[in-house]
Amino acid sequence: MIAIEALTKVYDSVAAVDDVSMVVKAGSLTVIVGASGSGKSTLMRMVNRLVEPTSGRVLIDGEDTTNLPAHELRRRIGYAIQNHGLFPHRTVAQNIATVPTLLGWDRRRIEARVEELLQLFQLDPATFAGRHPYELSGGQQQRVGVARALAAEPRLLLMDEPFGALDPLIRAKAQDDLKTIQRQVSTTIIFVTHDMEEAIRLGDHIAVMDGGKLLQYAPPAEILVHPASPFVAALIGVNDRPFRLLSLETVAHEVEPGEAEGEPIAADADLRNVLAELLWSRREAAPVAERDGRIVGRVTLARLIARAGMPT
Amino acid sequence: MAASLARTAPVVSRGLDKLGVVVAALLAIGAASPFAVFRANRIVAGEAKFFFDALPAPDAALFALVAAAAGGVALLKTPARARLAAAIVFSIAVAGLIGVAANHLTPPGEPYARVAPAAGFWLLAFAGSILFTDSVVRLKLGPVTRLLALALGVAAFALALRSGVWSELSILKEYATRADVFWREAGAHLVLAVGSLAAAMAVGLPLGVAIARKTGWRAPVLNTLNAIQTIPSIAMFGMLIGPLGWISVHVPGAAALGVHGIGAAPAMLALFLYSLLPMAANTVVGIDQAPSDVVDAADGMGMTRRQRLFSVELPLAAPVILTAVRIVLVQNIGMATIAALIGGGGFGVFVFAGLGQTAPDLILLGALPTVFLAFAAAIVLDAAVEHVTGARP
Repeated sequence: MIAIEALTKVYDSVAAVDDVSMVVKAGSLTVIVGASGSGKSTLMRMVNRLVEPTSGRVLIDGEDTTNLPAHELRRRIGYAIQNHGLFPHRTVAQNIATVPTLLGWDRRRIEARVEELLQLFQLDPATFAGRHPYELSGGQQQRVGVARALAAEPRLLLMDEPFGALDPLIRAKAQDDLKTIQRQVSTTIIFVTHDMEEAIRLGDHIAVMDGGKLLQYAPPAEILVHPASPFVAALIGVNDRPFRLLSLETVAHEVEPGEAEGEPIAADADLRNVLAELLWSRREAAPVAERDGRIVGRVTLARLIARAGMPT
Repeated sequence: MAASLARTAPVVSRGLDKLGVVVAALLAIGAASPFAVFRANRIVAGEAKFFFDALPAPDAALFALVAAAAGGVALLKTPARARLAAAIVFSIAVAGLIGVAANHLTPPGEPYARVAPAAGFWLLAFAGSILFTDSVVRLKLGPVTRLLALALGVAAFALALRSGVWSELSILKEYATRADVFWREAGAHLVLAVGSLAAAMAVGLPLGVAIARKTGWRAPVLNTLNAIQTIPSIAMFGMLIGPLGWISVHVPGAAALGVHGIGAAPAMLALFLYSLLPMAANTVVGIDQAPSDVVDAADGMGMTRRQRLFSVELPLAAPVILTAVRIVLVQNIGMATIAALIGGGGFGVFVFAGLGQTAPDLILLGALPTVFLAFAAAIVLDAAVEHVTGARP
């Protein structure tokens, strides 16, 4: 659990972060979203003390972050950034081994960990371990950047627009992978982005910032349904609200008994995609199938439309 | 088909190589200029010997053919390998023939007669080296290959020296009478150039790191070093005589270490001071060049400033810093010649002695090894820079 208490950062008498308090639950993925200059990155960088707060404090599992020297604190916290920041003069394996090496792990343990991470991120160790960053594609570089951040098994991972430089297709894949990997490693993640779509797609909780202030901190559904201010409403885009609401849930929750024609839909597809599929194929309903191909029922257009509206 | 022929054919068959025109012109002027100078003894005025006087007829004819062939290869758009081969054959021919000319021109039983290379020889040698360097660049040889080529060249040169082809040349006669002094001064020259480089690295690198961090200090420090660079070397020696003389007298042990107002100490100090600017400035530039997200990642992962410096910033700055080492070493090898003015030793001893005696051969004995050393240092360090940069885009 990370407790941020009355955190403030003042630069030249302007508050970049202004009295922000919030609690991030252990194992959750919390997205801080805001425009550039909103203070979102500064807030995140105060957690690992890349920026020292003017006032306020951060507690990780009850312990004040100022109890440790800053560099020792940072070795316990994963850190991944936009443009990955990989060391260009080091190989992929050496890059991933950075923090374990700083922590003085023995060589065998480091090698095993590097191999494990490369496999987790679908990079064949035999092919990629010895390569240099410039020999990788943008998506691969970004995966190595996240693998490096996770190398020393941190309980907290900070990510500052890690997917910002990726093109849309690879970006969507990276977001899915991050969700999958978080389930496997059960790390708490604080994720900074300016993209509300990304925030809704990834976040268990979303913190909306503007002008250094925390405007709203709530689960995505709550933010969509009850935006705390006109600014938050503008940020989520009122016109997209029904579709964003649908995107939060998988079809498994809306399955009803019965039969339907045509291609079955996967049970883990999100409702927005299902709606698009039904509209496109001009169907009133579609069968829903589990991963093993077993039909578990059907989903209807009427049900989706009912689900997309404002809760009453 | 016809269109593609029309497009490619002119490139292959027509047009002259631009640099080749220069090379061929140099060859022509060189061949028309005196090839060697004959003097009855080392200080009287010389008598210019043209090509066909300087060489036995068959050698002259053979060389005319080689030169014409090399000129042809240079002039036309020929493959780089052919150009390299032409450059090598031609250079060997020029180098060998100046020895032949010396033997041919020296009358038997006249130990004081001198034969020295003249303008024609130098122009021909220059043409050969342009063709050689150009073809090496075109072949895009890797750093290791270039080092091997340098080693081969040095070995061939040493063999030629031992074989005695050049032993009648004036410069080697000058060498023969002072061989032990020559090697002593060669050692002194290297100590001056490399020693001042080592000292400049020891001070300039940390200084560069310090002002890369403390940006407020950057302008004053670099401006001071810049001002030092503008002091002419003679003036610098003059300015150092006072303080070093004082130290020599008043600091215990300083005189025993060789610190005096004149001699090697001020020469070394001057070279060191001149070297500080390139070392410090390039270190700053190299560290500044490290991408900001890489530095941010290093901090974010918990590197201390020292770890960040040694495992991220300095390795990334290495090519730029090595470039400074190259600049400083080549510059110091040349400048160390001046040290002889104040008794600092080095190849300059022969240059200034030769100037004093109006003996051009003796000047060459100091100048040629200096040029060769600077050239070799440049090749070695260029290869090192390329090796360090090679692993990156």
